Amino acid sequence: MDRFVDLVVSAVLLAGLYATMAYGLGLIYGVLRVVNLAHGGVIMVGAYMGWILHGWLGLDPYLAIPLVVGATFLLGVVTYRVLVRHLPRGAAGGPASLLLLFGVWLVLRNAAYLLFSGNDQTIRTAYSTRAIPLLGSYVSVNRLAVLAIAVVTPVALHLLLKRTYLGRAIRAVAQNADSCTLVGIDVERIYTITFGLGTALAGLAGLLSATIFSFNPGFGSGELLKSFVVVVLGGLGSVFGTGIAALVLAVVEVFAILVLPSYLTAAVGFVMLVLVLVFRPGGLFGQRVLG
Amino acid sequence: MSIRNNRRPYAPLLLAIAALAVAAALPGAAAAADKDKILIGATLPLTGAEARVGGFFKEGYDLAFEQVNKAGGLEVGGKKLPVQFLLLDDTSTQASAVSLADRLVNSDRVDFLLGTYASHLVEAQSTVAEQNRVPYVNGGGGATKIYKRKFKYLFGLISPVELLGGTLMQWIDEQQKAGKLPKPAKIALVWENTAHGKDFRKGISDFSQKSGGAYPILVDESFELNARDFGALLGKVKAAGVDLFLVDAHLPDYITMHRQYVANGMCHKVVSYGARGGEKDAVQALGQENVNCVLSGVWWSAQLGTRPGPSQEFVKAFKAKYGGREPEWFQALAYESARVLFTAIQQAGKVDREAVRAKLAAMKVPSLLPGGTVEFKAEFGQQAQNSFVLQQNQPDGASPIIFPKDVASAAGVAPNPRCAK
Repeated sequence: MDRFVDLVVSAVLLAGLYATMAYGLGLIYGVLRVVNLAHGGVIMVGAYMGWILHGWLGLDPYLAIPLVVGATFLLGVVTYRVLVRHLPRGAAGGPASLLLLFGVWLVLRNAAYLLFSGNDQTIRTAYSTRAIPLLGSYVSVNRLAVLAIAVVTPVALHLLLKRTYLGRAIRAVAQNADSCTLVGIDVERIYTITFGLGTALAGLAGLLSATIFSFNPGFGSGELLKSFVVVVLGGLGSVFGTGIAALVLAVVEVFAILVLPSYLTAAVGFVMLVLVLVFRPGGLFGQRVLG
Repeated sequence: MSIRNNRRPYAPLLLAIAALAVAAALPGAAAAADKDKILIGATLPLTGAEARVGGFFKEGYDLAFEQVNKAGGLEVGGKKLPVQFLLLDDTSTQASAVSLADRLVNSDRVDFLLGTYASHLVEAQSTVAEQNRVPYVNGGGGATKIYKRKFKYLFGLISPVELLGGTLMQWIDEQQKAGKLPKPAKIALVWENTAHGKDFRKGISDFSQKSGGAYPILVDESFELNARDFGALLGKVKAAGVDLFLVDAHLPDYITMHRQYVANGMCHKVVSYGARGGEKDAVQALGQENVNCVLSGVWWSAQLGTRPGPSQEFVKAFKAKYGGREPEWFQALAYESARVLFTAIQQAGKVDREAVRAKLAAMKVPSLLPGGTVEFKAEFGQQAQNSFVLQQNQPDGASPIIFPKDVASAAGVAPNPRCAK
């Protein structure tokens, strides 16, 4: 029973991490139909920002969230205005956007190597190794905080999309950008803000990951892969689907250890990805437009 | 008669062609006589994922070349020849390591090669050396599979990681015999799914099998590099109720796993993460109180320099060159690789690849490595088999050597006192 509780706790905490990493990727694809390969690079940038703010200014990583989110939002806006908006829209822009954003990732990574070298860095706070007992198991305070943010983020996104003019405009653009132009919505502005939001969510994921893992300029590639799996499982464009897919992936990976060697558990997610693409190409929860 | 006379003019020509062919087949021998310097090439990962350690290796190489050139060069065939070092950046990638080694040999015409760092790079690059018959001495490729290919021109100073597992078990066995650890002592063996991890696993498993049931392995699990969650794996270890938690991990996984280990409230009588343990980065990331008593095995430690001998001379020279900074095993292995190659060249008495290869294969010379001598036995694929030194983290931040006894500066602690709390 203890073992079962341990595994459930592990799965839920891991789901929080996966979901946080995937929201930004899902949002950008849902609206712009662009696969943001720079997502992994921005996760790395978020981690280094948190490290700098903590190491140099003594700022707690959770208090640094507004600064990191703000800075990566601006990074996203600049990337969109300078680079992404020049890409052709629709299917024609697919390969071009992949190449362009992969290039952005390489630039970010190599800039980080120049600035910070390849050394592994970590953020250590007073609560880095602290845990609270729960149902006979122990729950890391850090991972619990990540889970809480992973739950709050889609709720906030949902409220933004459903209750605000900006959100309604984003959903409308995601559904039909041409019609939006006819009714006076500034589509380019919406794209810019959405790309900024998605990038900011990647920065947030990087900051939160940095409180748990060590990182170096190569950080983010594994996170990008997991994000892809989660976004595709959840159904492209579905915010809550992303959260639930993260939970499904985490549960499957964690419980796989009961029947598989530990090193194979990470591959389970990719097997699921292939199965979903073959049998349910729209994702486990169907393809939606930011529902 | 006339036929005979017509044939004679061709004989000297044929002899000349044969002589030229022989000379072309032996470029080293032909070139050695008029050498005015010795050219040694190497690549290192000065950028990319292994840049940090690549920089450390460069420091070791630079020191060795500086010392030998300050002394006027290497004495070869009765005269001193300066040694020029040609170093290129392989960017931590196999493709660059291979293509640049090819360039060093066939375009820059280096006489000998020193190795790069990291097993996967050495494995790929040493093939170029073997194909071109260039002696290749390295201190950065420890995986046994590199040497199982039985290359003739490849020499490795870095002992296999399975010896690390074996050394750990020897110390643990001493503690068990002293009654400090239970008998049998149950083991959780967790290893990264790489050649490094597999070698570590073999060292522990072999010892366990020969122990007659004194060390049963209850958990034997591997994990992927840079894993994001060890919750399920640690849960399995916890459920098994083992005494010894023996892991082989690189620094990022050590930090991630040990953070979860501590947060899960876990504690074992002996904890080791293989070669990891007392690094400054790890202590900063995990906190001194959480890494106390963690055992680690390394190929060399600056503490070996407290006694007179090659290690002391190296530490003194390194500190003088690098502003008082203490060297780690990376710099020591690089320095020693260069020094061993220099020794072989001098012993050969000529700048000849075959002669130097033969001297390296037969070498047994004093060394700064644990054990005090270095040799490259053919039965191990010319990989050195020097023992490891075990260190254990102390509450005051020090990591003294605790094993082998002849170089130990403190007694090891077992069982871990933290578990009693």
